Amino acid sequence: MLLVVTYTRAARRDLRNVCRAHEETVVRQFGRAALLSATEFGAFQALRLREKHGLDVQLERVRPFEPEDVPDRVREAARAYEARETPSIPYRQFASGRDLPGADQLRGEEL
Amino acid sequence: MKLHVCGTAYEGRVVDLRCQPVDGATVAAAIRGTWPLPAVDAPAAGPVYDYCGHVHPSMGLRTKTALAAAARSRGHETAHDDTIAELRERLADLDRAEPTLPSARESVDDATVAELRESAATARGRLEARETLGAETAEIRAEVRETTRTLAKRETERTAARQSRQQRRDRAREYRDRQARRRRLADRLANRRRDARRDLVDAVAENFVAALEAVPGPPAADRPDDPGDVPPVPAALAVLRLARTDAPVVVATDRFATPTAAADWLSAPVVRC
Repeated sequence: MLLVVTYTRAARRDLRNVCRAHEETVVRQFGRAALLSATEFGAFQALRLREKHGLDVQLERVRPFEPEDVPDRVREAARAYEARETPSIPYRQFASGRDLPGADQLRGEEL
Repeated sequence: MKLHVCGTAYEGRVVDLRCQPVDGATVAAAIRGTWPLPAVDAPAAGPVYDYCGHVHPSMGLRTKTALAAAARSRGHETAHDDTIAELRERLADLDRAEPTLPSARESVDDATVAELRESAATARGRLEARETLGAETAEIRAEVRETTRTLAKRETERTAARQSRQQRRDRAREYRDRQARRRRLADRLANRRRDARRDLVDAVAENFVAALEAVPGPPAADRPDDPGDVPPVPAALAVLRLARTDAPVVVATDRFATPTAAADWLSAPVVRC
């Protein structure tokens, strides 16, 4: 999918107009951003906005993300942390002393 | 004021242009300095003139905004003014220029590089084999050199493409962070200006009602409860009466018996169109 984020009022207005005119191409619309389907038409609409508003329009390609795409240890860490008994404990503290990856360790790893 | 219209020179506090083929909008624009003709010599028009410098039957009026400008012309200040000035300054300091991004280079795909690596390795293997056998190696040596050179070139291209992509993203992100900051500042500024406007309107509200009641001409059939809903012409006249008006006001309404009466009531120089 294509993520379109706008940074000015004018760009936001034009994005809204595109979304209204081409509902079939819009996967989801948020305030000043929208997900367009990854078709050439979606790209065409995104590029039109980019042509008109330059860097005030940010374009990103978005891939679906499933829990299965993530290494087991990360999923287990998330599950264990959400099941914690002390709600206020920071993850750093929670992970130390358990068999869980540390926060810095997670930060350093590209998915 | 001094005024030149169609070869006639006018001078004085009150000028009557009803017999001249010139419309009020043009005269008002000349007084505001946004139109070159007719030639006007008069004090500069203040912000109030943007709203009601030209009073005519088909005008619209943002009464509260005009009233706030009138209050300002009388020297009224609000508790928000310092914040407004500061926010304005910060907003002006934010560089709004869009950066130029390095051009996006065509990336060399992994398959091409892998293929080149493999053929370079193959050529080197063949060279070693021939050396072991003591066979002729000049040709294969040249091939090794050639494939290695191509491989190095493609790898450099790939690195450059990757770097230019990263640079493009970094610069765009920096610019967008700035844009986001600008938007937050602009929102805060708009809020403070609204607060200031409300205070200014409150400060002159009583005088405005009094001025409205004194406006000559036919009284409105039923006076609206909110003075902000009064029709534009009487509202504009009342605003002007409140405001300090040094530049001539263009009046194109029959509410006054004479142009001089209008000037006296508004305590402002008047051009009657």
